[in-house]
Amino acid sequence: MVKRVSCSRVVVVSLLTSAIIGFGAESSRADAAKGEGVFEAKKCGGLCHITQGPATEKTFADQLKKKGPELWYAGNKLKKEWMEKWLQNPAVIRSLEYNSLEKKNPGNHPKLGKDEAGAVTDYLMTLTSKDVETGVINPKSSLQGKIAFEKRQACQGCHQVEKTGKVVGGMVAPSLVKAGERLQGDWVYAYLKKPKVFKPVKRMPIYEGYLSDVDMKNIAALVASF
Amino acid sequence: MNKKALYFIMIFAVMMTLGKGISYAVTAEENYKFYCVQCHGPAGKGDGINVTKDMAVTPRNHASTADMSKLSDADITNAITDGGPANSKSPLMPPFGKTLTADEIKDMVSHLRKLCKCTAK
Repeated sequence: MVKRVSCSRVVVVSLLTSAIIGFGAESSRADAAKGEGVFEAKKCGGLCHITQGPATEKTFADQLKKKGPELWYAGNKLKKEWMEKWLQNPAVIRSLEYNSLEKKNPGNHPKLGKDEAGAVTDYLMTLTSKDVETGVINPKSSLQGKIAFEKRQACQGCHQVEKTGKVVGGMVAPSLVKAGERLQGDWVYAYLKKPKVFKPVKRMPIYEGYLSDVDMKNIAALVASF
Repeated sequence: MNKKALYFIMIFAVMMTLGKGISYAVTAEENYKFYCVQCHGPAGKGDGINVTKDMAVTPRNHASTADMSKLSDADITNAITDGGPANSKSPLMPPFGKTLTADEIKDMVSHLRKLCKCTAK
């Protein structure tokens, strides 16, 4: 008798859980579709943000005509919570305008309302790349990571970082201050390992052969811990 | 060799030639403008946008005859290919050996010699 009650409970709980998960998944898909609609209506695609992979840029001109970062792997690169907040209150990530070496970033990215930001986030999180293996990098600030990041290579030459409470570093690349809130470590590692998959034409040098696999993993873990 | 094999070899050769032509059609000036000016500056004076007061070292002034004539072509090639540490200098100069081809690096050395109006020591 006792056994039968337990089984019934298990069945009821399972059904409820499936219903909740199923509803959640359905709701998320609906929001993603709504988000794609918002993305298109607000003309976020085209030269502003490419959402169709794989990358096709071959020349400097192909890269320089883009007005913003490609998002076709946004679901691997960016963190959902960060994206939803950022779309409502877009703060400057790159000191200079995208692709520019002179013009200051005017910080005029369009703002979205809460509902739209949530829907667009759900849509962007569906954009993923088969070249990012998930569950490889855990955020960790290690001495080895710092040595690889600052000494073996000098990432701070182009990327701003926080050092003893002060923002230092180059202006040309995206800031890495609090990058752990924004970036997924698995993507940072995949990008260091296979940069041409994500950005075939870019100013950042290719480090394959100059940083070991362990260095790349340590750097990715370090950046994810910022 | 049968005709089919010959046909495939010819197609492969054409594809390789076209691919090479497209990817190598970048001048040293264009590469400099894309990869180097952020640190070395548009005229090569070592005053690029990345040079803040916190930068540990000043980038090389490519327009300086005095500084650049102290370097051999091999010194410059090594620095571009493997980064500053290849010449016991700062890692703030990153390695471009996997980004630029050997021919592009050779062309870049010639371009730097034009900027400094100097020759190797």
